[in-house]
Amino acid sequence: MSERTRTRTVLRLAQPPARRFVPGVLVGALGAGSAVALLACSAWLIARAAEQPSIVYISLAVVGVRAFAIARGAFRYLERLVTHDAALRQLTRLRVELLERLVPLAPDGMNAIGRGDLLTRFSRDVDELQNLPLRVLQPALVAGVTAVGSVVFLWFLSPTAAIALAGCLAVAFVAGTLLHATVSARADAVIAPRRGAVGAALVDLLSSLEALIAYGAVDASLNRVAAADAALRRAETRAAIGAGLSSGVVSLAAGAATLAGIVIAVPALRSGTLDGPELAVIVLVPLAVFEVCAMLPAAVGASRSVRSSAERVASAVPDVVPAELAVDDADARPLAPGADSTLALRGLTARWPDGGGAIGPLDLVVRPGERLLVRGGSGAGKTTLAHTLVRLLDYGGSFSVGGAEARELQQDGIRTLIGLCEQQPWIFDATLRDNLVFARETATDAELTAVLARVGLADWAASRAGLDTALGEHGSRVSGGQAQRIALARALLADFAVLVLDEPTANVDADRADEVLRDLLAAASSDGRTVILISHGEVPADLVDRTVTLVDGRIPA
Amino acid sequence: MKPLDPRLLRRAAGARLFLLGGGAIGFVQTLAIIVFAWCTAQSVSRAIDGATLDELAPLLAGLGAAVLVRGACIWATDAAAAAASSRVKGELRAQAVTAAVRLGPSWARGRGTAALATVLGAGLDALDAYFGKYVPQLILTVIATPLLVLVMLVQDPLSGVIVIITLPLIPVFMILIGWATQAAQKRSWSRLQLLSAAFLDVVGGLGTLKIFGRQHRQAARIGAVTDDYRRDTMKVLRISFLSGFVLELAASLSVAIVAVQIGLRLLDGAMPLSVGLFVLLLAPEAFLPVRGVGVQFHAAADGLAAANDVLGILDEADAAPATSEGAEPPSTSVAGSPGSSAAASAAAPTRARRPSPAHLEITGLSVAHDGARVLDGVTAGASAGAITVVVGPSGAGKSTLLNAIAGLDGATYHDGGMILLDGRPLDRADVAWSGQQPGLVSGTVAANVALGDPAPDEARVAATLARVGLNDVAPSAPLGVGGSGLSGGQAQRVAIARALYRLEGRGCRILLLDEPSSALDSASEQLVIGELRSAAASGAIVIVVSHRPALIAAADAVIGLEEVARV
Repeated sequence: MSERTRTRTVLRLAQPPARRFVPGVLVGALGAGSAVALLACSAWLIARAAEQPSIVYISLAVVGVRAFAIARGAFRYLERLVTHDAALRQLTRLRVELLERLVPLAPDGMNAIGRGDLLTRFSRDVDELQNLPLRVLQPALVAGVTAVGSVVFLWFLSPTAAIALAGCLAVAFVAGTLLHATVSARADAVIAPRRGAVGAALVDLLSSLEALIAYGAVDASLNRVAAADAALRRAETRAAIGAGLSSGVVSLAAGAATLAGIVIAVPALRSGTLDGPELAVIVLVPLAVFEVCAMLPAAVGASRSVRSSAERVASAVPDVVPAELAVDDADARPLAPGADSTLALRGLTARWPDGGGAIGPLDLVVRPGERLLVRGGSGAGKTTLAHTLVRLLDYGGSFSVGGAEARELQQDGIRTLIGLCEQQPWIFDATLRDNLVFARETATDAELTAVLARVGLADWAASRAGLDTALGEHGSRVSGGQAQRIALARALLADFAVLVLDEPTANVDADRADEVLRDLLAAASSDGRTVILISHGEVPADLVDRTVTLVDGRIPA
Repeated sequence: MKPLDPRLLRRAAGARLFLLGGGAIGFVQTLAIIVFAWCTAQSVSRAIDGATLDELAPLLAGLGAAVLVRGACIWATDAAAAAASSRVKGELRAQAVTAAVRLGPSWARGRGTAALATVLGAGLDALDAYFGKYVPQLILTVIATPLLVLVMLVQDPLSGVIVIITLPLIPVFMILIGWATQAAQKRSWSRLQLLSAAFLDVVGGLGTLKIFGRQHRQAARIGAVTDDYRRDTMKVLRISFLSGFVLELAASLSVAIVAVQIGLRLLDGAMPLSVGLFVLLLAPEAFLPVRGVGVQFHAAADGLAAANDVLGILDEADAAPATSEGAEPPSTSVAGSPGSSAAASAAAPTRARRPSPAHLEITGLSVAHDGARVLDGVTAGASAGAITVVVGPSGAGKSTLLNAIAGLDGATYHDGGMILLDGRPLDRADVAWSGQQPGLVSGTVAANVALGDPAPDEARVAATLARVGLNDVAPSAPLGVGGSGLSGGQAQRVAIARALYRLEGRGCRILLLDEPSSALDSASEQLVIGELRSAAASGAIVIVVSHRPALIAAADAVIGLEEVARV
């Protein structure tokens, strides 16, 4: 799928369905039409009254003026409610849909996107997409319907005047939009990435502030923020000139329409094809029409920002999942209940999406209840193996789970059997309870506390706010060791039949590492659980049944 | 809601300038509107009275000129507003990042660095709509509306009076509805921020959720939460749009009333058509800016809320004690407790007694974090030439001790005690530090290693990288935001290389490393231990936090910390 098609897909996602969108346009057109009708009716009323007819002749116009005045406010209010509701509903769908698209990529296909950039794309850019229905299509369609309606109305009074109005409107439409597009096309496209650059510079500064202070590099980092900001300012100022120019041109076209109305209507009046009140209407109607159309340049501007945000969102969620990542086949089967947990690897190969960390061909059989240690140095492919076992990474060769080929089974099913304790576990910005309970949603507080005791966190939790302890953004309020223990606790709660521990004690104090491993392996073997422990370091020999060593992605004979 | 935050005007020169410039443009624009309306009304009424196009030529020329001036003013206002917004954002952002630095790393972590980056980055963009759409209408309300009403009063007192009576209804309703929605608006804004943080948290933790089979449920939860937000927001909008409704209604109804009463008086022949048309054209123009202010209420609320977040940070920084750490290197990192100067002079004889080797003396150091005491009266020392390893269980305050020595976040959480190097207060220039997180930034690997060095020595950078076993990482390799692009072990070694580079280049006395080998295999760990050994041998005080047996085995001295709660 091409970049453009992907952007279009994102834009389609941002656009509410017709049944929610069309009512807003209709109500909006009625409101704008009422504004035009109010001025037309007022002009006719005044000019006709100046001819001093009987009051009967103007009474209908009096009613009309009042009715249109009320209708304008009421329709406008309704329009705003309807359109905002539709846009916000769509935001919900958009967020969920984007998350669902990220799911097949997570976690190993997401590394290419930097944190600050991801932040911008998923807050600023996704929010910006709401403007597609709200500030692009809605005003454009309302203005279009109103303009056409007004031209048709004038046609019945004076076709020439109607053509003149249509001409001025066309000039305003075309010049306003084209001019806007030409002047600000380049600036708009650079604004979103420059905003991203400012965001990235801010994240660099704020998240590494300690190191920057310690190295006396704060000023340099501040300068980087300032430079990114200056670049953003240049782009924004360029865009400003474009937006202003097109509003100015629309205003000029509006004035020209009034002038043209006078120039066309005055001879018609003298030749008797028009009367005085009709002349007043022809001259004044353009004023109201152009007031409605004045929002067009802003709509065009918004459309450019929306498009550029859509492009950035589209590129953050590639639709093609890299071949290295596991994807369910359409005919993938669920894992058979009570499946045997024997894992057998035959000639298995796997690697990261960037081509690194390649392993294999590997031959390895892990029997139920076995406690296996996989040792290896940095870059030996230990984490590749761990992610392959839980089907985050796809593989070549064969990997069977309880006798069934893993790639023919649904990933989610395999992951109810085989669990992973990640090397860098993600700690959610929530309480300790929330960080545990998603692993087993039925767990009671007592069970959670018990599992905390098994990973040696009971005292720590008790000295804080217990299960209500807030762990902070990205676990900022827990140490590396505590984060690992929380991850261990989650894995125990989920009660996997096979548990892969990727360096579980990398950040646990040496004096407790053995103790935690002992606790863990004891708990695991009492349930007959298989434990695959991946570590670069030594592990007390009595804790494991078997050790294999990984060297450059292979197990040497 | 105040339409203009005085603090915004005080802090941002761009905002003040725009008020002046926008006022001048608004005045000219108003004159153009009056001329346009007058020429149009005269042309129509004279044409009805039988004038030919030739006779109307001067009026039409005036009309054309007014159109040109009006167009120019509209362009100038838009351009000036966008430029002003951009400038104000830059001014606020520059002040706020400086303030954030002054408030320190632990403050930033407490606020959440991602949320903070949003407030200072994307959040401020709400000012675009505020300056672009709201403030110009505000300026015109102050300049154009009174001027137009005055002209109407002179031309037709009755119409003028009608407008004068209707106009104040608008601000009254605006204020009433504004009061009703203010708290809700604020809540809605902070919920939006929480929501995007939660959304990002799920995006970041998607891998973990997937392992537990919770990815789809979590996506559904984000959907439910966003939908809750929509329902709440719609409740707010129903009321805040009501103010828009009242504005529109008041404006259009008063135009209708003016039109009808002018019509009735024309019917009696009580006023000329030209005056009637002139007033009819001016009436909506008088309401236009007021309506604009109302319609842009949302833009204003969002802009002011975003500005308020940033102004709050500036106020917080102003209120913070002047000793708070900042970009400027502090002369001392010792807590300003009353006893410290006495203690410092008492320590002076120590230096006289023991001139060399260099010695670091920590006495009675207490550190509180978030109100909880992390270190309580720690007394310890470390000498040059030796590797000192800090050990202790999780949460015993090992990292806190190291950061206190490095003078990081010192004044914000020092509780008492002192840290002296050879009897004198420690300077941050004495210290080469590396924390538990690598703390790398975007840029090349070399730029990270030579962080803070105004004249990086490329050869020494490459050599230092090689010494920690990073031969396979090119110094010119670019890193993403937060140092992304390296494995955990590589990032850790780049951070160690950075500390070694500083130690040697700046002649620092102290090397502080927090868990330098937690992500390393034993071969790499041995390389690092060798580097620590040679740093010590060259006369540095080496203090390392570690739980790794190999590192502890290499220690010449050990500082044992126990959890405060257990002491």
